[in-house]
Amino acid sequence: MGEEVKKKSRPAPDPNSAKYKLGQIAAKAYTDAIEAKARGEMVGWCASNFPVEIPETLGLTVCYPENQAAGIAARGGGERMCNEAEGEGYSNDICAYARISLAYMKLKSAPEQDMPQPDFVLCCNNICNCMIKWYENISKELNIPMYIIDIPFNPDYEVSEDEVEYIREQFWDVIHQLEDYTGKKWSDERFKEVMQYSGRASRLWVEATSQAKYVPSPFNGFDLLNHMAVMVTARGKKEAGDAMETLLKEYKENHEKGESTFRAEEKYRIMFEGIACWPWLRVTSTGLKSRGINMVTTIYADAFGFIYDDFDGMCRAYANVPNSMNLEHSRDKRVKLCKANHVEGLLVHTNRSCKLWSGFMPEMSRQIGEACGIPVVSFDGDQADPRNFSEAQYDTRVQGLMELMEGNKGGK
Amino acid sequence: MAVNELLAQLHEIATSPKKQLDKYLAEGKPVVLVAPVYTPNEIIHSMGIVPMGAWGADMELNEAKKYFPAFISSIVQSILELGMKGEYEGVSALIVPSLCDSLMCLGQNWKYAVKGIPYIPMSYPQNRKPAYGIKFTRAMYRRVINDLTVATGKHYSDYALKDSIKIYNEHNAVMREFAEIASTADISAAARNDVFKSAWFMLPEEHTAIVKQLNEELKAGPKAEGKVRVLVSGVLADSPSLLKIFDDNDIKVVFDDVAHESRQYRTDAPEEGDPLQAMAIKFANMDNCSFLYDKDKKRVDYIVEQAKAHDARGVIVLMTKFCDTEEFDYVPIKRACDAAGLLNLNIEVDRQMVNYEQAGTMIQAFKEMV
Repeated sequence: MGEEVKKKSRPAPDPNSAKYKLGQIAAKAYTDAIEAKARGEMVGWCASNFPVEIPETLGLTVCYPENQAAGIAARGGGERMCNEAEGEGYSNDICAYARISLAYMKLKSAPEQDMPQPDFVLCCNNICNCMIKWYENISKELNIPMYIIDIPFNPDYEVSEDEVEYIREQFWDVIHQLEDYTGKKWSDERFKEVMQYSGRASRLWVEATSQAKYVPSPFNGFDLLNHMAVMVTARGKKEAGDAMETLLKEYKENHEKGESTFRAEEKYRIMFEGIACWPWLRVTSTGLKSRGINMVTTIYADAFGFIYDDFDGMCRAYANVPNSMNLEHSRDKRVKLCKANHVEGLLVHTNRSCKLWSGFMPEMSRQIGEACGIPVVSFDGDQADPRNFSEAQYDTRVQGLMELMEGNKGGK
Repeated sequence: MAVNELLAQLHEIATSPKKQLDKYLAEGKPVVLVAPVYTPNEIIHSMGIVPMGAWGADMELNEAKKYFPAFISSIVQSILELGMKGEYEGVSALIVPSLCDSLMCLGQNWKYAVKGIPYIPMSYPQNRKPAYGIKFTRAMYRRVINDLTVATGKHYSDYALKDSIKIYNEHNAVMREFAEIASTADISAAARNDVFKSAWFMLPEEHTAIVKQLNEELKAGPKAEGKVRVLVSGVLADSPSLLKIFDDNDIKVVFDDVAHESRQYRTDAPEEGDPLQAMAIKFANMDNCSFLYDKDKKRVDYIVEQAKAHDARGVIVLMTKFCDTEEFDYVPIKRACDAAGLLNLNIEVDRQMVNYEQAGTMIQAFKEMV
């Protein structure tokens, strides 16, 4: 028998730290929604890239099924919830976030992450058309209204005036429908305030994530996967900007002091492409860290940069999110991130849940690799269904990527 | 001409699209491929171009795997495979609508995988009914017209479009009539499919002429007796092996909600007024399809209503593997069928499928339940 080793208890988090503040905001989004529901207020379920400016300006409480599904998957509930949805007849080919959400709609409770049932749903398909089908089913099953802002995939590099006009008209249509349904009123003044908050949080997020330009990076890119929850759920709130300001300050200080939240020697720097494998977060993170590979950037660094000056600018910004851009525009954004952050390799998550994100990724990643002169390696996984990931395959692929990056270093 | 001769003619066309392509090219008519699910074929036709359906083929996928991960539907993948293998040589362009995530990816991959044939995107609005949606559809049709002119040198005129709309509306009516006649006539599932499939490889006026004759012959001919009457739903129902199982088991397709078949012919464009606007209004009026925003799931009620109206005992869903658009709708369809006392069966189909034993067993069991 070995001696009992007492686990060191973690020190209490510093309430002034960005991590603490960001964690609080993300958690508060759920408690606020639960409390609002308990007070008898309406609560909506909202797509992650739906223009948050609308519910925020109207003073509507919303929660985010994608964020909840990621949380449930990260805490080990993905397979149980997916099985539940499959038992209802949903194919296991359907997005695992959707399966988890449809299961939650039925069960109305999950120990990993609860949130109130919806009185309406807010859908935006600028990340995929799958969102429409998912929300249609919720709306029909629960007999609640569905409001959609349709932002078609843009086959061109720039957003056309025709598309901006189509989006703008829909914004006002949805605003008026929500006013009628909820009794809340739109205020231009409040919108300006929300726009400022969202813009401030977005600018600070982009600047904080850009601190990876330093070698070594002052942060571990896996941090971004947690912190981005605030950009999804709270970018229109003042406290999001305050927390992002703290994050930026910490990253700058880390750089000045030669410190980093990447707790290993940074030997290689990669871009991670795709949604995180939430059920296998520790495995995917450790597989990199143990080899001294820091994931210094992801497209999320750019994705939540909702920076605009007016209403049309907002329409344009929501049409310029990663999954609504054509291959060339998507590629160029990533090439820019790779170059700005001295990326040496690209690790692509071929995500079985996301047809749109993975469906032209082989060609796009080839082009990124060529443009940046870096190796590209992919692995099969899933954002929330743990059954679609193989630890052995991941390990082999990451090892291969490391060897290719090492070879490049030798050649330089 | 007798029924069998007419059906043989349509079967020949349905099974030899390459011959049709060569025929039109030899006649000096440019050909443009149209990908699933909806494209403005009247506009293409009005410009003196032959729109030809590109719904892939039953085949092994090799080349397309360089571009697509495995979990993209084989309809989409096989379109790219055929393009990469040179099967579409001679066509002037491929039009791909933005109606599902996999189709969006097809367009992006096509640009690099099939360099000789330009990709023309058609961005459809999902909010298609309000005035702003109709305006956007119209603007995107304008863009398709410009791209078609660049690809073929052909020009657009309102005058020609008005004529083409009439030709297509007549074809729609004839195909709707065929679907009704076929619900009682003695026609096999395979032959019924040939009638729909051949339409994708012919000019509508030519197809109309044959189907009109066929309708008359079928009306006067014998009726199907003692069959198991079903409504078939799905994206595609053209697999000869599967249709043979239907026919071997006396399964009678009395109506369909198949994207490749009847969904194409439900809606006419108005024949009065500005024809381009009429085309946008046509799209706004389209409904009961998994690819078109349908928050009330009217499609589900439509399937049950049509099954009852055509005296079907059950609904067979042919589920294209990895088509999440259809997969989401299956659960409400199943529930509605159960509630309406309609037997229902979900058969997963794939363009790479070679073994139909499981499907055969399921259909036999279905027949026994009836």
